[in-house]
Amino acid sequence: MPGLDEVSDIKSDGLKTAARHPVPKGEPILEMRALQKKYGAVEALKPASITFLSGEIHAIVGENGAGKSTLIKLLTGVIRRTSGEVYWCGKPVQLDNPHEAIARGINAVHQEVVLCPHLSVAANMFLGDEMKSAGLMRKRAMTEAAQSVLDDLGFNLPAAATLGSLTIGQQQLVATARAAMRGTQFLIFDEPTAYLTRQESAQLFRLIRRLQGEGVTIVYISHRMEEVFELADRVSVLRDGTHVGTRRIGETNDAELITLMINRTIEQIYHKEHFPAGEVIVETRGLSGPGFEDVSLTVRAGEIVGLYGLIGAGRSEFALGLYGRHASTAGEVYWQGRKVKIANERTAMDLGIALAPESRRDQGLCLNLPIGLNINLPVFSRLTRGLTINRQKEIENADRQIRDLKIKTPSRRVLASAMSGGNQQKIVIGKWLSHGAKLFIFDEPTVGVDVGTKAEIYRLFARLLENGAGIILISSYLPEVYELSDRLHVFRRGRLVASHDYRAASHEEVLTQAIGV
Amino acid sequence: MSAETVDSGAGPAPRKGVSILFGLTLLGLLLFLWLLLGLATNSFWTPNNISNLLRQGAMTAILAVGQTFVIITAGIDLSVGAVVGFTSVIVAWLLAAGVPLWIAIILTLAFGVLIGAFHAFGIVRMGLPPFIITLATLTSLRGIGLLITNGSTISITNEAFTNFSRADFLGVPSLFWMVIVVAIPAYVFLHLSRFGRYLFAVGSNSEAARLSGVNVHRTIYLAYILSSTCAAFVGLLLASRIGIGNATQAEGWELQAIASSVIGGTSLFGAVGSVHGPLLGAFILATINNGANLLNVNSFWQRIITGVLIIVIVYFDQLRRRGAR
Ligand SMILES: Nc1ncnc2c1ncn2[C@@H]1O[C@H](COP(=O)(O)OP(=O)(O)OP(=O)(O)O)[C@@H](O)[C@H]1O
Ligand SMILES: [Mg+2]
Repeated sequence: MPGLDEVSDIKSDGLKTAARHPVPKGEPILEMRALQKKYGAVEALKPASITFLSGEIHAIVGENGAGKSTLIKLLTGVIRRTSGEVYWCGKPVQLDNPHEAIARGINAVHQEVVLCPHLSVAANMFLGDEMKSAGLMRKRAMTEAAQSVLDDLGFNLPAAATLGSLTIGQQQLVATARAAMRGTQFLIFDEPTAYLTRQESAQLFRLIRRLQGEGVTIVYISHRMEEVFELADRVSVLRDGTHVGTRRIGETNDAELITLMINRTIEQIYHKEHFPAGEVIVETRGLSGPGFEDVSLTVRAGEIVGLYGLIGAGRSEFALGLYGRHASTAGEVYWQGRKVKIANERTAMDLGIALAPESRRDQGLCLNLPIGLNINLPVFSRLTRGLTINRQKEIENADRQIRDLKIKTPSRRVLASAMSGGNQQKIVIGKWLSHGAKLFIFDEPTVGVDVGTKAEIYRLFARLLENGAGIILISSYLPEVYELSDRLHVFRRGRLVASHDYRAASHEEVLTQAIGV
Repeated sequence: MSAETVDSGAGPAPRKGVSILFGLTLLGLLLFLWLLLGLATNSFWTPNNISNLLRQGAMTAILAVGQTFVIITAGIDLSVGAVVGFTSVIVAWLLAAGVPLWIAIILTLAFGVLIGAFHAFGIVRMGLPPFIITLATLTSLRGIGLLITNGSTISITNEAFTNFSRADFLGVPSLFWMVIVVAIPAYVFLHLSRFGRYLFAVGSNSEAARLSGVNVHRTIYLAYILSSTCAAFVGLLLASRIGIGNATQAEGWELQAIASSVIGGTSLFGAVGSVHGPLLGAFILATINNGANLLNVNSFWQRIITGVLIIVIVYFDQLRRRGAR
């Protein structure tokens, strides 16, 4: 097995070595042979052999916790394999640290953005690879270079802004630009469109095609079947850590892939039941606050009110405003006909509002605490008898949510950070289901959630509605809000610009209103 | 994703089990030290020395428990040593002014509450980092104490008060009983009540805690008030033990408390910690000091050994936490 000397060899020649000896299109560029990863007793990836061909777009699909991100982290040297081999351009390679992967031209845009929120966009793009002259960083030059890359890619983003001030979707685009910029041979996307709107997704797809045109091999992970069929040449399916098959895209279909993924069939993903609209639960009149202005809408018992818009359109800000996280600057809120002032989150919860926020990592979860504690966090006051918590109830409640939502974990005591992205999302939802409410606000509830579970979550929505609750559903994924909302509101630049009844407008109409051309 | 995975075998690092294991390791280390010192010296296992050891460890242990609450919220309280010195002055001064003992004790503890509330105020309302605000009180409290005493000490003549620290109950020093008096409610608070869970949640991700309806500000007030009140309580014990109020006492005890807490498995990044850990940590440190004295080890070496021990224990704890990468 080649050791470190080969790595340093590659480093000294830089990236161009790889570029000068490209594997001919269609030949294997990276081969996994019985690659395996164990986390303690958990076998996240069972020995899998997948071959990636030079210049192809290779999709990987599978349920939450199937091992997709694990595979990616193995190929990019973020984690070390337990056993197996990887061949790069026909030669066995170690890939046991990120530097080696990058030096060989293997890059990834990870599921959770792993950049520095306090640095500028440009600084992040050049992180670890800064432009220097005489040992000093050339800040201006970097900002200019970064800006020209962003413009060239068609991303409308300011290179000088701090990364943290951007939305998660925009940060994801920065991560993409960063990877694209680095003379990549092999680029992996782990659910890149999860937080992107249609428009941004379209930009990303153009970029992916362009990179493919330049000979880059692309690995594309997604839970959205239509994206897989739109982009990919071939698709590999993982189920429970096992590689269960690879198909040419022309020789397979939705149903076959889903069956491979979950070992059963789903008749219908968007499960919609109509309930007679009941009393008005909440009504906002001209509500304004940071990031949104003059929003008037009502939610009745038994209905789903969808909010669609581009990222940064003010939907999440509106939700946070209604929930009392930010003080509103104008307008009124009526709760079941009574005028109320929602000054903080506690007041909102006591009225009967639940908010499952947009970012599971920043707002939704205490990552280094156990799953059980996360699920119970909103309800501890209810679980308390006298001075102490009722252990029995605490355990029951956590275990019930884990069971109902099929959160894939051996125990409620496992830390939330050890869960796959989709399973983390389920914890966020679970904690509000156990709390219960009259009005549920779900902000991007199915980000990173697999098809099977998505269908289950939508069924769950129907159960909530049946019990007399109302739902505000915020999503950047048009089919989801479109198919589920009894009433669909479109946001643009902080304002509510259009409203439609169930399926009253076409996709195109809604999109046009959101973009505002 | 199938139902059986939910029930299957041992998963990655169930937190509770491991923390018990870690606690047992520390306890093992403590017993090992005691055994070793028992073999190496004749004087270790004498009633006198054991009482002495328990007294020495008791005050650090109480400080460490209070400190742990703060560290769990991802904060730090550098002021505790200064609070101990300051409150020893307060109680001596009150007693000298003829205030009845019980009222003097309650007033002194009330000072602890006030100082903690001030720290939380600085953090929550003024947006100061915990390190800064508690560093500021560290120096100013010493100053105020010195002003009150005019740079000297106030001696305490109240016999009932000074006898307390010398007394035994059931053969165990009363100071050690005070550890139990603090530790039991602290355990109930941190591990059995919802407020304990809130401390962890705030330390892990305060925004997520806030959106889950946790009153983050109140939780921070709680943590700092508990820490300062523990320190004020230790101030009372110290004043009783040395019979004077002196603002320069307890120099560097904040570091002892932080070290005990960290040896006991508390993470300075927040959201990891327990009550039994810092208690064991404090007594491990006390044992090392005590043993070094008995063995006539140069006191400079004691400091070095303590430093090395912190690195070794925390390093092994980190290894365990990280698990297999
Ligand atoms: N650091 C870790 N420690 C222990 N187990 C882990 C760790 N990271 C992942 N796992 C486990 O490995 C399995 C595979 O996780 P992985 O993140 O690869 O799933 P995924 O296919 O990317 O899922 P998703 O679609 O939800 O993102 C899961 O069961 C997960 O709980
Ligand atoms: Mg993943």
